[in-house]
This record gives sequence, structure tokens and C-alpha cells, in this order.
Amino acid sequence: MPLLMASVIALMVGAGLALTLRDNVLRGWASIASQAVATALVLAAVVPYLVHGGELRLAVRWSYPVQGIALHLDALGAFFLAWSLPMTLLGTIYAFGYLRPQFGTRHAGVQFALLDVISLSFVMVYTVESAFAFLLGWEIAAVAAWLLVVWEYRNQKIRFAGFNYLVSTHAGLFFLLAAFMVIHSQVGSMDFQSFERFLRQPSPLRNVTYVLLVTSFGLKSAFFPFHTWLPRAHAAAPAHVSALMSGVIHKAGLFGLLRVTLLIGTPEPWMGWYLIAFSSLSAFIGVLYTSAQRDLKRLLGYSSTENVGIAGIGFGVGYLGLAWNQPVLVALGFTGGILHVLNHALFKCLLFYAAGAVYRATHVVDLERLGGLLRRMPWSGGFFLLGGLAISALPPFNGFVSEFLVYAGLLSSAVPGGIERALLVAVAALLAFVGGVSALSMTRAFGLAFLGAPRDPKVHCDGEVGPSMWAPMALHAAGVALIGVAPAVGLAVVAQPAALFLARAGATPADVGSAARLLSPIAWTSLGILAVFAVLWLVRRALALGTTPEVHVTWGCGYGAPTPRMQYTGASFSAQLADIAFAVVPHLRRERLPEGPFPEGRGRIETACVDAVERRMFEVLNEGDDTIADASRRIPVEPRFSLGAGLVVLIGMIGLLLASAGALR
Amino acid sequence: MSALLVAHLAALLLLPIPLVGVVNRTKARWAGRKGPRLLQSGSDLVRLLRKVPVYSRVTTQVFRLGPLVLLATTLVSGMLAPLLGGFVPFSFPYDFVLFAYAWGLGRMAMTLSALDTGSSFEGMGASREATFGALGEPALFLALGTLAGATGRTSFAELLALGPHGPTRALIVAGCVVTLFIVLQLESARVPVDDPTTHLELTMVHEVMILDHAGPELAALQYAAAIKLTIGAALVATLVNPLHAAGPWIFGAANVALTLAVAVAVGTVESLMARFKLKAVPQYVFVAGASAFVALMLTAWWQGGGR
Repeated sequence: MPLLMASVIALMVGAGLALTLRDNVLRGWASIASQAVATALVLAAVVPYLVHGGELRLAVRWSYPVQGIALHLDALGAFFLAWSLPMTLLGTIYAFGYLRPQFGTRHAGVQFALLDVISLSFVMVYTVESAFAFLLGWEIAAVAAWLLVVWEYRNQKIRFAGFNYLVSTHAGLFFLLAAFMVIHSQVGSMDFQSFERFLRQPSPLRNVTYVLLVTSFGLKSAFFPFHTWLPRAHAAAPAHVSALMSGVIHKAGLFGLLRVTLLIGTPEPWMGWYLIAFSSLSAFIGVLYTSAQRDLKRLLGYSSTENVGIAGIGFGVGYLGLAWNQPVLVALGFTGGILHVLNHALFKCLLFYAAGAVYRATHVVDLERLGGLLRRMPWSGGFFLLGGLAISALPPFNGFVSEFLVYAGLLSSAVPGGIERALLVAVAALLAFVGGVSALSMTRAFGLAFLGAPRDPKVHCDGEVGPSMWAPMALHAAGVALIGVAPAVGLAVVAQPAALFLARAGATPADVGSAARLLSPIAWTSLGILAVFAVLWLVRRALALGTTPEVHVTWGCGYGAPTPRMQYTGASFSAQLADIAFAVVPHLRRERLPEGPFPEGRGRIETACVDAVERRMFEVLNEGDDTIADASRRIPVEPRFSLGAGLVVLIGMIGLLLASAGALR
Repeated sequence: MSALLVAHLAALLLLPIPLVGVVNRTKARWAGRKGPRLLQSGSDLVRLLRKVPVYSRVTTQVFRLGPLVLLATTLVSGMLAPLLGGFVPFSFPYDFVLFAYAWGLGRMAMTLSALDTGSSFEGMGASREATFGALGEPALFLALGTLAGATGRTSFAELLALGPHGPTRALIVAGCVVTLFIVLQLESARVPVDDPTTHLELTMVHEVMILDHAGPELAALQYAAAIKLTIGAALVATLVNPLHAAGPWIFGAANVALTLAVAVAVGTVESLMARFKLKAVPQYVFVAGASAFVALMLTAWWQGGGR
């Protein structure tokens, strides 16, 4: 704990220096140095808990009305701290290179100070066990993230995206507050440890509280349908902010979910099904939206909704294991889910950093205007490909490892036969579809941006980015590859957090080792793929010895004058899937087609993929406004209408009274 | 064990060539022709290996390495699949998940290598391949998940050994056979999903993606396609093979014979019907999914107490 306190002080000093030093370069170095110190301190503090388990509790006295702050460090908090701070440090190093072109004109110290503050909020959220201080940390993270997003505040679209995020995250805060108030009314304390007294006992009020909590954490982690702020915010923010928000900051929602799960102890089966349904929907709809985006960063944003869904499915399987008392399911579900959280942080930051490198080099993130970047930016392109393969859960990379555990849970023979098993098999099939569409989206994104020929002659590429941008990418890529070929490393990191849940299920050592036993053949087969590929490559080299392949133009199927504009576009690449999924992924279409056999004038067609939820939400808000205005005009003048309205209100009130009487009894 | 391993390797590396020959012979017989030699595709591969390829100016290493990745993943997936019925070289719990994702990696390598040429036609083929792949995966997982549920086992060879004993099991197996057969047609680009002999770029899926590949790269792609066809046929064969109790050699021999019979079936379908319109292909894949779903519901009912 003293180490954590010292890290907080280091971060605060760093933030202060970043704001007050005279030069942007010095400010950046102050932030990086303070975060490096804080990271070292935090790692020194948490690694013992991550390796050996155990927990530490501490109470700090505080003045009225907080009275006391309970601190609690266990394997779960240690796990989240152990990668959140290092990744924020890498993000800050990346920011140093990313913001460099603006060093002459802007006070970049604000960004660096806020990055320090984000790290600070992690230390608070992942260790504090008192609701007041927890909410304070939660709010610091939210407001700091908002300020980071609106860096280019002169652009109205970016301000709108920022406010959209701010409103959404506070809607989530209200749900969280409501849940805390319900619990406080029952236990009379704001200490998480005492929440257990209420959350352990099944009751209708616990169910309501659980739904409130899941909604709040779902908003934080951008589950469908609470994701509307996310694609806008991710597209608007600087690349390092998008990366940290998507990969690191919003994992706090999943942390909250896991923390509540530990407090609940033995959940009811419906909670597991609810979580699985909610998460499956997120994964399914999130991935369909990734397939149709033009904006590279928006695409990556939607893929966050997909990946928290996959982690959520894992947690749901774990819930069912706890409810049915099947330790194997608990082990597979929670290990897979928690590992996916880490994996997603690794490859999503990697992808956002590569997208940021594209933006720095070309000033464009519109896929329809890019092309052929791999030859100009081989490293960034290679890193993007690596991240894309990992996020599509393909072996031998880390995404496959965690999804494999989730599959193993879904298809496990520990699931009772009958309808339960059929449902989980259907979820596995859905997950397979998600994997397939994710591969399609990543093929499309990488293929359009990095392969082929440049589509727009107006886009100029400045070439590969500097070391402060590719070094963080290289470290993330190393993590992606390492967990892929040596899953034991990933398992070692998540073993103790998963053991907390296994302890709730009364697991035997055999259950604890089940994930490791499943993954060792995976590692061997992954290495086998690499080995066979290496052999084939050597054979190919041997065949090519002494020959020089001819170089020619791409075969144009007999057409003699192809231009780069004729390459397959992103919209056409996903058109077939979009046709099938039109109900979920609506496309706005504006067209003026040429008419008649000898058309005069130019025809045009324009399609755009819009977010269905956001669109409906704004429609309802608009119409709701009109409806209420209409009603308030009619009530005073039309007696029959006002009588009807009065009756509706009366029935509503009686219903509420009856419901509350039922709840009290 | 090691003799079986050698037999498995032989089946994996050599069987694809006569298998393609059987499909082509079947088609020739239906058309009233004599047809090419059974080992013709082997000679074609050797011929391609001797050639020096022509590369497009637009392409990068992705174009050259894609075919090798596809071949590598296909070969490794062949080591996970029960080509000889009961025997699998690497068998472990949930190996079929890795099997399906290895194919996914191969598919992504091939689509990327097609996109690397910057050709609009190859982009079209890549888009179709990626879409059909995404639609086919859930059907495959529904079928394999159903079998996992019905057998209570978790490795590939054990799943496919369900056996059609009794009416309910026979129905479950039939549903899964339909799914696996359609997935086979989809993955190895056969009629009615795709026509391997068409020469109209606008209607092709698999063949259009390899327009720019030549020489050893083309050989790798065609060899991988033949291996995928063999593995797919062997999965269907293992599922319908009734000789589980007869010992590994008889079981394996019967399985190879049944695999060739599936190849005859593929050739027959190809001779008797035309390729679907592209818009109809997703519906055809939904048939595969629906068939597996019926089998899944049947399994749930069967295990829930009904017989």
C-alpha cells in the first residue's frame, strides 16, 4: 500500500509538472518519467498478489461526510492494475510522437497531465472499496477521458462527440448511483465489504440492483445498445486516446462487473443467461457494424463493442457454472473472459496505434481514399495485420487463446443436457459467426488501407512514423504474439484472479488446472502451423533459386486501361453481407439515377452506414418532445383528453404503490 | 500407432490427387466423355512447380506468402481431422475449434493475397469468399456442437463416431451430414456454390481470387484446395461410417472408400445441377445451418428425456 500511495504522489507531481513546465518536450518527458516511476511502484506492489494471491485491506480515516476510505487490493484489482498502468505509459510515449507536429502551436501539457490523471484514476478505482471514493475515481476517469477526446475542440463534430460521451457516461453514473443507494438503504454502509450482506441473499431487490449495475457497467464498457457514444468518441479522439479508452479505460466496467460477481457469491441462473444474452447481442451487432464502416477508427470502435461482448459471454458461462455448481465451467468461463480482457487491450491498442500512424502519415482515415500503404509503411502495416489477425481470433495469436477457452466453456459436457446445452451450442455458433465477420472486417480494413494501389492521388503518404510511435506498437505486438504461441504466460497472469471465482465454486485442483490442460495442445499446434509454414517457405525459396520472377501489371481481365479508382471499394466489399444484415445495419441511400435510354445529366449514388440505435434514439427524442408539447397544449383545453391523462397517471400511481408494497413485503 | 500415422500422412498428402481425379472422372462420365487420368492433377502440380511466376507490380509479400499460409494451415488442419475414421495424429479436447479457425486463417490469407493485386475482380472474389466463410462457420459449429452434445465427447474423432443407431440418432446424423456436405461444397468451392471450371470472372468465387497467381504459388493454392476437399469429404465419410468396432485398419480402409464415394457424390451434384445465382448462395448456406439446428433441437429433446 505505501507503494501505491507513492505512485499516486508521483502521478500527481507528474501531472503538475506537465502543466507548468515551459516546453512541450519537457512536459512530455515529465509525464513519461512520472508514469514510469508510478508503473514501477505499482508493479512492485501488485505483482506479489498476482502471483501468489492473497489480499490486503486497509482503512484510512477521512473527514465527514466520507468518514473512512476502505482500501482493498486482491488478485482481481492487481490484475487490472498490472497492465493498465504500463499500457497507459506506452500510450503516453505514443502520444509524444503523435502530438509532436502540434508541439509548436498547442499546449500539449494538458494531454500529458490528463494521461497522468487517467493512471491515477486506475489506482483509485481498482483498489478503493468505499462507494464515495470509488465514484470519485470513476468520475475522474470519465471527465479526464472526455477532456482527452476534445483535444481538437475547434472542430464542432469533435465537441459533439465529446458531449455525447459525457452525457452517456453520466447516464451510466446515474444507474450506478441508483444501485449504490438501493444497497445503502439495505445495509446502511458505503463500504463494498458490507454490500456482501445484501448481495448474498436472493431477493427481488437484489435482482433490480443487479440489472442496474449491469446497465451501468454496460454503458461504461459500451455494450450494445449502450454503445452509441463510442464510435463517435473513438473517431474524434487522438489515436492514443482512442486506444487507451477502448483498450484500457473502459475495462473498468468489466472490472465492476467482476467485483460485483465476487460480492454476489452464488448468482442465480437467470443472471448468467441475462449476461450471455446481453453479451451475445453486443458481439453480434458490434461485429456487423465493423463490416460496414468507412472510417478506420470508427470501425475499431465498433469492434470494442464486439470484444467486450465476447468477454461477457465468458463471464456468463462462469455465472452459469457458479449457479449450477460446475467448477469446470467457472474455470473456463472466467479464465477465458478475463484473459480476453487482457488480450483485447493488447491488440486493440495495437490497432489504434497503427491507425493513428496511418493518420499521421496521410491525414486520412477514410478507407475509400487509402490504399497501397504497406509499401510505404511496412512496419505499421505489419503491426496492423498482426492486430487484425489476433482480433479475428485466428491462431497462432492471443485472441484465439481466450476465445478457445470461451468455446470450451460453451461446448463443455459439464453443461446439463437438454435445452441448456442446445442454447449454449447456439451461442457458440453465434460466436463462430462473429469470428467470421470479424475476419471479413479486418481483411477489408487491412486490404483497403494497406494493399492494392493508392486510391486517391490527393492523399500523400509521409512514410513510416518515428520510433516513439512504433516502439509502443512493437511492445503490444510482442504481447500479442507471446500469448498466442505461449498461452501459459497469459494463463499465469489470469490464474489468481480466476482463482477468486473458483474459490466461490468450491473447486478442486483438477478444475483449477483445466484451462492449462486445454491450452497446452493449442500451443503445440500453433507452433506446428508456424513450423510447417517455415518449411514451406524454405521450399519456396529453394524452388526460386537461380530464377528471377517477371514483374508485370495486374491482370485486368482483358481491359486495357484500368485505374486505381476501379479497385474494389470498401462499400462493395461488405455489400453482400450488408444485404443479408440489412435489418440490423441500415444503410442510408441517396441516389439520382440516370433515366431513359439516353440519360442527360450526371447520376449519383451515395450510401452511408448509420448507427440504428443512435438514429432511433434521436428520432424518439424528437418525437417524444413533440408528443409532450402536444399533450401539454391539449390537457387544459380538452376535458376528455385531460380526463384520460388523469386516469393514466392515477393507474400508474396505484401500480407503483402496489409494486412497492409487494417489494416491502 | 506409427503405421497408422504413416497411413494418415499418406492419406493427407497423396489422397487429394486421385480424389480430384475421381470428381473429374465422375463429371466426365455423366457428360459422356472418358475424362482425364486419375492422377492428372498431380501432373498439373508438378508442371506448375517448374514454372517461374509473374508478379504484379502492385503486390507485396502478402501476395507471395498468402498461398503458403493457406497450405500450411490446411496441412495442420489435416493432422487434426479423422481422415482414417478413428485415428487422429493430434487429438485433444475441442480440437475441432482449432480446426475451424485454422481454416479461417487460411481463408483470410487467401483473401488478403487476392486484395493485394488491386484487381477489382479479385476484390470481388475476396469479398464473396469472406462473406460465405462467415456464413458457413456458424453452420459448421452448430453441427459439431450438436454432435458434441449428442456424444458428450469433445474431440473430433469421438464426435464423428456418433453412429446412426436408432431412429433419433439416425436423424441427428442425417442433419449433420447435410450440414457438413454443404460446408464441404462451400469451403472447397464446388457447384452449386461456385463452379471450379467457369471462366467468367464475374461469377467466380475461388477461381477469381487466384487469377494473378502463377507457378509454385498457384500450385500451393490448388494443392490446398484439393486437401480441403479431401478433409471435408473424409469428415462426411467418418460420420456415416458404421464400422467403428471393426478395428482401425478396416475402419480406415472403409473410410477412404467412403471418402471417394463422397467425391463421386460431389461430382454427381456438379453434373446434374447448375451453379446457384450468387444471391441464392446465402440461402443455401442457411439450409446447412437450419439442418444442423434441427439436429440440435432433436438432441436437446433426446437428452431432455424423450426417446
